[in-house]
Amino acid sequence: MKNIFLLLAFATVSLPAFLRGQLLDPALLTKPATDSWPTYNGDYSGRRFSTLTQINQHNVKGLALSWIFRLHVGPTPGAIIGGEGPMPEGPPSDPGVSTIKSTPLMVNGVLYFSTPDNAWAIDARSGQQIWHYFWRTKGGIHIGNRGVGIYGNWLFFETPDNYLVSLDARTGKERWHTEIADVKQEYFSTPAPIIVGNHVLVGTGGDSLDVPGFLEAHDPETGSIQWKWWSEPLKKGDPGWDSWPDEYAMRHGGGMTWVPGTYDPELHLYYLGTGNPNPVLTGKSRKGDNLYTCSIVALNVDTGKLVWHFQPSPHDTHDWDAAQTPVLIDGEIDGKPRKLLAQANRNGYFFVLDRTNGKSITTAPILDTMNWSKGISSMGQPIPDPGKEATIEGVLVSPNTSGATNWPPPSFDPETGLFYVGTSQSFSMFYLTDTDPHPEGWGAAERDAGYMGGYLNAVDYKTGKVAWRHHYPFGGGPVGILTTAGKLLFTGDGAQNFLAFDPAKGGILWHAGLADGLSNGPITYLLDGQQYVIAGAGDSLYAFALQ
Amino acid sequence: MPKYLLATFAISFIAVALAFADDPKTPPKFDPASVERGKQNFASTCGFCHGTSGKGGEKGPDLLRSVLVLDDEGGKNIGPVILKGRLERGMPRFPFNAQQIADIANFLHNSIESAKDRDNYRILNIVTGDPKAGQAYFNGAGKCSSCHSISGDLQKIGAKYEPVTLQGKMILPDDHWTEGTKQVSAMSFTVTLPSGESFTGAPLYLDDFTVSLREADGTYRSFKRTSPDSPRVALNNRLQAHLDLLKTYSDADIHNLTAYLVTLK
Repeated sequence: MKNIFLLLAFATVSLPAFLRGQLLDPALLTKPATDSWPTYNGDYSGRRFSTLTQINQHNVKGLALSWIFRLHVGPTPGAIIGGEGPMPEGPPSDPGVSTIKSTPLMVNGVLYFSTPDNAWAIDARSGQQIWHYFWRTKGGIHIGNRGVGIYGNWLFFETPDNYLVSLDARTGKERWHTEIADVKQEYFSTPAPIIVGNHVLVGTGGDSLDVPGFLEAHDPETGSIQWKWWSEPLKKGDPGWDSWPDEYAMRHGGGMTWVPGTYDPELHLYYLGTGNPNPVLTGKSRKGDNLYTCSIVALNVDTGKLVWHFQPSPHDTHDWDAAQTPVLIDGEIDGKPRKLLAQANRNGYFFVLDRTNGKSITTAPILDTMNWSKGISSMGQPIPDPGKEATIEGVLVSPNTSGATNWPPPSFDPETGLFYVGTSQSFSMFYLTDTDPHPEGWGAAERDAGYMGGYLNAVDYKTGKVAWRHHYPFGGGPVGILTTAGKLLFTGDGAQNFLAFDPAKGGILWHAGLADGLSNGPITYLLDGQQYVIAGAGDSLYAFALQ
Repeated sequence: MPKYLLATFAISFIAVALAFADDPKTPPKFDPASVERGKQNFASTCGFCHGTSGKGGEKGPDLLRSVLVLDDEGGKNIGPVILKGRLERGMPRFPFNAQQIADIANFLHNSIESAKDRDNYRILNIVTGDPKAGQAYFNGAGKCSSCHSISGDLQKIGAKYEPVTLQGKMILPDDHWTEGTKQVSAMSFTVTLPSGESFTGAPLYLDDFTVSLREADGTYRSFKRTSPDSPRVALNNRLQAHLDLLKTYSDADIHNLTAYLVTLK
């Protein structure tokens, strides 16, 4: 039985469907596994909420370090080596390669995670390495990697030079690799593949030059492509074409797919936030809303066809992509149960949509300093102030291109009804530097203008109002978050502490100083009857449990 | 600024920092002389169809976004197209030698590198404001004159810095400077204990649990924080007014102030 590996891991969920290579049990949406962390967000909902209660408010003070795993990247002794590029001479110089931004998966007592060009399996009990895989790269920006996906015995991850690589999870041996984008066009890939049914969903990134974004579904057995959804129309008449001035602009319009999406098994829809349009900081050659950049889209997971879209940043000119996790909430609005989708967006707004049709329910600002919007339209979209698009003499804009928030995973706690997200208060000057009628690349320069600290925000999904927030004067803000039924919220501050908050009121209940700032989304699972919390900070994974 | 604060500022701006990850000091990737030769030859020979910048003209496509060019290395892809032409699309043959092809390839690749190297985009003329309005703002609503003087610290400031640098220093000033022979730091912490005893010094570390500082005589002190208000921690910033201005001044105020400061020569 080839999928025996997951038999144990999914002992609590409906196995037969999964073993036939069909959909993960829909219960994963509302009843996430407690004895594994089988996908980027723990389950398909993107809530990063665990029902585990062994570690809770009453005993969290006893949470202590179990082990640390410090990674060693590159062609280490014993590493399994693959790739298309040359063997590197010496260790990688890019700090992104040694920073754990990936959310580890935990399946059957083994943790799987990655950094650019590197993947590991380590024993979840001891933190001991089982195998290390190294990919010889042809290039690409080595900024980060968000993790691996698992299907039966097969692991999948993406590389900076845009290969989808499949490994045997038991041994780390490569099964196959397939190129998904051209590194010479400045594509580079960071997402964690998401597996839905027999679809391995992979996106890509890269906005240095003006190339179009896409999402692909691949066959987990062979790697062959099943469908490809372009995040922009490719020709006149395609959906969204009239939001661009011409075919040339749309085919060079950006819209990268660089953060994993979420999935509703009942609606059979995959939800994805797309990247910013290109050229990035000037819109003169791409007048219009520029669909489907900076959008939340719902795709039929079997066909890749667009079912609906909502665009948080029409005609963006500040690099505020809408790639942040679209979190699925089964909630209540005006006393009626609703299927909702919530996103805390890089542009400084919090959005709640009806996820059956993409209609806006709530749009509310979550950043005090934001100065680029003229209000909210009847459709729930912010109205950009054209006066805040880069000019030759410069305009002052908040937030900066990093945004109010960014890719670090937020969390939704169904018990408090609060959506948790880190934000950063920043200003930048934006100067138009490319005055050509057809600017290329970014087209404008950004210079820091000031920073006023970060916040951990708890947002009421029904109103968009901030119920409580915690200020970090230096750093902190957009950092990964995990909530649990133990009435705990785990996250990091700007000072290398890993913290547990009271999710209802915001008080700090526990902390541990690490050797680096939290750099990934923390996870939790039960193993041998013991609940662990795992945090990635810099080049190390830390495991905590009750003593 | 202490290393810790620097580090945390750096974290908060991680995406900006990453956007600017290319080291501007690295030597040019393409031989500048070859790029210049290629530019000249391209403009006179190819520019009529492809535009003098290579971004495309009435007949020829944008070569800076061409996959063939992006995939090219040293003219391997470009060369055959130049030599054989694309007669079916109206592009004639050009009998260039190997050096000429390499020069044109270098010119195109250099232009592509420049387009993606956003850290080194050149800011253009930012001195477009009204100096008189800037002066009025300096002495009025902006309250700049409550700390600065054009006959004192800002004397001849317009001669000292290029406008882009000057504007940068106005919006986000350096947090260290010298007054006479004295090094001054913009920031300090003042920690006040429940007993009323207080300590002020250079900021070294602050989180929700600990605060530390170095007093003027070099003494290192750190304190446990038992609650957000105990001990009381004040973050003193002599540049707070600049941060506050971010929320109040308009883009026109910034342009006018810049134009005014540039006149102080």
